Amino acid sequence: MPHYVDFNGLQVGDSLPSLTKDPITKVQLVRYAGASGDFNPLHTDDSVAQKSGLKVVIAQGILIMGFMAQAISGWVKKSDLKRFKVRFMGMTYPGDVITVKAVIKEKQEGEKGLFVLCDTLAEDQNGETKVSGQFEIMQPI
Amino acid sequence: MADVSKVGLGLPPYVFVVERVKIREFAEAIGDKNPVFLSKEGALAEGYLDIPCPPTFITLAFQEFTGAYLKAFEALGVSLTNVLHGEEEYEYLGEIHAGDQLTCHLNFESIVEKKTKTGPMDLITLRTLFTNQEGKEVLRSRSLIIERK
Repeated sequence: MPHYVDFNGLQVGDSLPSLTKDPITKVQLVRYAGASGDFNPLHTDDSVAQKSGLKVVIAQGILIMGFMAQAISGWVKKSDLKRFKVRFMGMTYPGDVITVKAVIKEKQEGEKGLFVLCDTLAEDQNGETKVSGQFEIMQPI
Repeated sequence: MADVSKVGLGLPPYVFVVERVKIREFAEAIGDKNPVFLSKEGALAEGYLDIPCPPTFITLAFQEFTGAYLKAFEALGVSLTNVLHGEEEYEYLGEIHAGDQLTCHLNFESIVEKKTKTGPMDLITLRTLFTNQEGKEVLRSRSLIIERK
């Protein structure tokens, strides 16, 4: 059973434990293409990527969003997640090591439960943000 | 460039079935070992009725299996070679489980022209409402697609 974050002991400005993924591989991009149905060859075929001016294939942005979702559903029970939005900032390549981070932006207790809003981002091994976003949770008290 | 006369219209409602094996395949492709996504036993142990959808799984409802993105781009006259995905947002209204049959209402919400240093672009917002087989609204999504002109 996952060990979820206990927000009672955390305040606005506190960070959640970051998640560092294994390096992205070309095989992972092919598997994700098949799993998601995103068969854009920019993600799977180097020769197509090179025709578009890239050196090699690039990762699907939604795969990186999926890494962030993996972190979130490790931090909180998935059914408590109410909203998740991201902006795709930069391209990610095979070999990149993505770390997902989050900081508490708002925390309020109300009739419906505990509401928490977090800023989140996915950055590579050089600290460059690839995807940034926010998520909201509502936990029953 | 995107056809602004289509704003407010959308695709005819279409159906997307949440296949059990695809959830596992999707979680494994991401490298997400959360047991709730990998087996029904793991999901039941966490209090779910069945395997829940991972938070970004709904992307399948737009891709090859339904062709919804391609149909939307075709309807809007958007060239595939010039598009980038700018933003993605999901609002979770209810749980989606393996075996659910979702009806998808994809709407062309807005097309806004923006001038940038690298040239003009259209910002195309697609909104989709997903209802399950019981008629319950379970998810709303928003995709911002950028078309370079």
